[in-house]
Amino acid sequence: MTDEKTIYDPEGYRGILRDRLIKDKIRTWSKVSVKKGEAYYEGLLLPRSQHTDDDYVTLKVDTGYNLGILVDEETDIKEIGYQKGHYKLPHVDVEFKKELPNVTLLGTGGTVASRLDYRTGAVLPAFTPEELFSAVPELTTTVNLTPKTLYQILSENFRPEYWVKTAESIAKEIESGANGIIIGHGTDTMCVTGCALAYFLRNLPVPVVLVGSQRSSDRPSSDGPRNILYAAQLAGYENFAEVVISMHGTPSDSYNLVHRATRCRKMHSARRDTFRTLSDIPLGKIDDSGTTWFKDDIRPRSNPEDFYLDAKIDSRVGMLYFYPGMNPDLLESMVDLGYHGVIVIGTGLAHVGTDVYPALERCQEEEIPVVMVVEPLYGFAQLRVYETGRDMLARGVIEGENMLPSAAYTKLIWALGHTRNLDEVRDIMLTPIAGEITNRESPRGFMIMQGIEPGIDQILKNL
Amino acid sequence: MIDPNNLDFKKLGFHAGLEVHHQIISKRKLFCNCPTILEEDPENMEYSFYRYFRPVLGEMGDFDPGMLVEFEKGYKVIYLANERNTCTYEMDETPPFFPDMEAIEKGYILSEYFHCTSFAEEIVVNRKQYLDGSITTGFQRTFISARDGWVPVNGKKVRITNLHIEEDAARRVNWDDTSSRTVYFNLDRLGFPLTEIITEYTDVETPEELLETAKQIGRVLRISKIGRRGLGSARQDVNISISGGDRVEIKGVQDLDLFDVMCRNEVVRQYTLIELKKEMLKRGLTKDEFEHTYVDISHLFQSETKHFAVICPKMKGLFGLEVQPNKDFGLEIFEKSMLITGVPRADHYHSDESDGGFIRENSDYPSNLGIDKQLYEKICAILNPKENDAFIVVKGSEKQAMHALKKTIERIKMALDGVPQETRRFVKNGNSEFLRVIHGKDRIYPDTDTPPVVISLDTIEEITRDIGRRPWEVFEELNSEYGFSQNKVDLLIRDEQLDSFYKFTTELNMNAHLAYKLLIDIPRENRRKDVIINEEIIERIAELLASEIIIPEQLDQVISLLSKNEHLTDEELIDQLNIKDLSSEELAAIVKQKIDFIGKDKLQTSENEQRYLPKIVALVLKECNYSIKGQTVVSLINSFIKEAI
Repeated sequence: MTDEKTIYDPEGYRGILRDRLIKDKIRTWSKVSVKKGEAYYEGLLLPRSQHTDDDYVTLKVDTGYNLGILVDEETDIKEIGYQKGHYKLPHVDVEFKKELPNVTLLGTGGTVASRLDYRTGAVLPAFTPEELFSAVPELTTTVNLTPKTLYQILSENFRPEYWVKTAESIAKEIESGANGIIIGHGTDTMCVTGCALAYFLRNLPVPVVLVGSQRSSDRPSSDGPRNILYAAQLAGYENFAEVVISMHGTPSDSYNLVHRATRCRKMHSARRDTFRTLSDIPLGKIDDSGTTWFKDDIRPRSNPEDFYLDAKIDSRVGMLYFYPGMNPDLLESMVDLGYHGVIVIGTGLAHVGTDVYPALERCQEEEIPVVMVVEPLYGFAQLRVYETGRDMLARGVIEGENMLPSAAYTKLIWALGHTRNLDEVRDIMLTPIAGEITNRESPRGFMIMQGIEPGIDQILKNL
Repeated sequence: MIDPNNLDFKKLGFHAGLEVHHQIISKRKLFCNCPTILEEDPENMEYSFYRYFRPVLGEMGDFDPGMLVEFEKGYKVIYLANERNTCTYEMDETPPFFPDMEAIEKGYILSEYFHCTSFAEEIVVNRKQYLDGSITTGFQRTFISARDGWVPVNGKKVRITNLHIEEDAARRVNWDDTSSRTVYFNLDRLGFPLTEIITEYTDVETPEELLETAKQIGRVLRISKIGRRGLGSARQDVNISISGGDRVEIKGVQDLDLFDVMCRNEVVRQYTLIELKKEMLKRGLTKDEFEHTYVDISHLFQSETKHFAVICPKMKGLFGLEVQPNKDFGLEIFEKSMLITGVPRADHYHSDESDGGFIRENSDYPSNLGIDKQLYEKICAILNPKENDAFIVVKGSEKQAMHALKKTIERIKMALDGVPQETRRFVKNGNSEFLRVIHGKDRIYPDTDTPPVVISLDTIEEITRDIGRRPWEVFEELNSEYGFSQNKVDLLIRDEQLDSFYKFTTELNMNAHLAYKLLIDIPRENRRKDVIINEEIIERIAELLASEIIIPEQLDQVISLLSKNEHLTDEELIDQLNIKDLSSEELAAIVKQKIDFIGKDKLQTSENEQRYLPKIVALVLKECNYSIKGQTVVSLINSFIKEAI
């Protein structure tokens, strides 16, 4: 028996209009006629987006255009035909080629591959092999790529336990002989996941490349296809074994940069070249002619037998962004709520105002580690320069060196997963594990590969 | 080839539709806050970047076939940009901003001018894919304002099916080599608000009607003061078909005077392709007979570059058919191959060139493979064509040449279906060239970056309430009241003097012809002499005439004085006019003297009167320094003639 209610569910429509559509048995995707005074429209009744006005229908007319019409009491609307659109992709036969490296693509969502959702009008992740290979056919001749879906979530919905599951899946793939791993990830929190994976995957034997797109794959100009092609190239062929982020290096489709995840940050809300390595230079770059490595401290591929997973975590960690006038009760309440550790992003060299001192003392008493990182993002936390800093150190805070906030946050979660002993936590936090702390800072880290492009001289001249 | 200048359009089943693209005057671009300023030098740039494009699936999960062909072209697109008119939106590096309300409102105003009945009460922004690089996103943001309107054309209604508002594309620059795989665009124009007005193609049956439709639309854009002016602000695409043919879109016709030759040459092309299809069927050809077997004949040529040949069964004599003036079917095929694969037309050859077909040789793109009779024989010896077979040779790298031959064979097969649906580019000689496979509706899908914008019917009514008279209503009125021709009305509209015209004729009670002279003739005449008469002067003269400080007869003098020194006070002006204060006796004496000078007898018949009366009046006025109304002189002359009788 067919459930009439499902057939006649006018997707996304609400209120009186929805009742009317159900009563008149008008389905979404049906061809309808709408008459209203002199005006007459014919077209497919599309599902309605959320957060839009209740009384309007969206029609797709014969030219392919969509438009909205207010349906009131004087409007006559009728179903005159039905044709459900099936979103279907051409089947792609992919044969295994012995000579190509094996790469697993673990999809977690994001916009490397995504499609429209008519209900919200938004872009949703979609990650079937068909979709990927029909969008980027070149992939099939680059590596033996096995796409697997781990999650279909937007990256802001990630949680620490998802990092663990992702790491476990990577470990499984490595154990099954993958020559490299690609993680498809939403770009918003890609760096955070990247940091966590860098700590979890010990003695990593193969490359792990996080990749996404800044322009969704439903656009002809998407950066996704090139990003994933380069990611496949890196994961399949290059001799390195670190967790990296590889995305566009410029607004052009010219080259991608390879960033060490623990030093990388998203620096623009929308641009393709949003990712930058801070306080250091990127590991390298890749373009159609191949990969160029800039750094010589890159971990090479190694024996998979030495590899192990260490993904013990304690996610009761919070992060505070200190600002002038911040009420210390924020930190107090974190103690009250039972947080096990706190990252504080402090001003300049990593300072907080003196009125936060009592709260710091409380953390010290309750043995809650407070790790200080710097609001300017570049440079080190240095609490020995000013009196404030020295006062803070006296209250037990840990100088987070030049860890980026996301690197410190994930590291504290990982450290607390192993011990709650304050000294041990301090030791773990201050020992570089995966490049999250650099023992020296090269001036190049602030100067080059920071988005300054050819032509800037001319622009400055013309200002 | 049938004679392009002797076509019976109705009999051929000619139909044509228009897509008029016209920029809208607005302060900002449609989806960002950049100003609408163009670079004077389109190749000027402060920075540049480049991209590649890929087709994406439509909302039904299909690739648009036109898009796949675009992808096949493999363009690298280089953008030139300038800080002052380009932001990260045009670079496709940031999502769109809220659409420009001014442009949205103007869309509704235009719709009202075109009598549209079905308005979009909620604007839904759509994406229309373009992979030619002209838009950095790979799609144009576009939306419907209204549907179902019309314009009157030679006594009938030509329907306007849709009126859209959309963002303009970037400007293509460095467009010299159409076979190049690198294309250049300046981003200054990208994002300018544009209206697209689409007419129902079945309503237009002759080129004249097409031209008049375009003119009516142009008049609306001018009279409403919504259309931007200046070079490149308007572009027309024309859809043409004849019975048995198919819809072919010809882009980039900027000059309305070229509509006629374009229509004729396209009709000839479609007619010839239909005849060609019949001939191919008559020869018993089927698509299966064409094989993608490319023979390497490079050793016959003194060249490093590869040469490949392919046999085209039963095609002898058909490649040499003239499809448009000075262009044979072979060249028509090679145009498409060139555009998709990048192999220049000159590197394509068909055997009819050596076998009695001379059209290619005299075309703009003759082959330069140097295949003479001897070489022709050698190729035949290798390919061994049958009596009725033809062959094609392409020169290029192995990959490119094979690609070109593949495209060539595919196009020949299509000839069995007659006229392919294509978008073509207008070229100066009146012909057209392949640009892309016609885009389907699969290339349109909703824009997820912009939520729908509700514009209620009440708002629409408010926006459109005060629109002025439509151009055809103005013509109707001025023609019936004053006998104005369409041409005269057009000048009032084109020079934006209609408001002043109505003001002068109603508020100032000015004679319509005088008002026209003041607003159109005089400024135009002076412009020709490089003298600009500004609107203040015209306005002032109108006031002077209305208050009878001057009389129409003094117009030329007044203009001349004011154009030299517009700061003259009324008194100074009158002073310099040298007005002769004549008594009625003195005037009568002058009139009599001039009648005598011309000869009284010349005024006896009414025919002569028409001829000589104005002459006498002119002489009298000149003598009186234009201080007397012409009408007074006419009355005097008439009374003297009566006296004489």
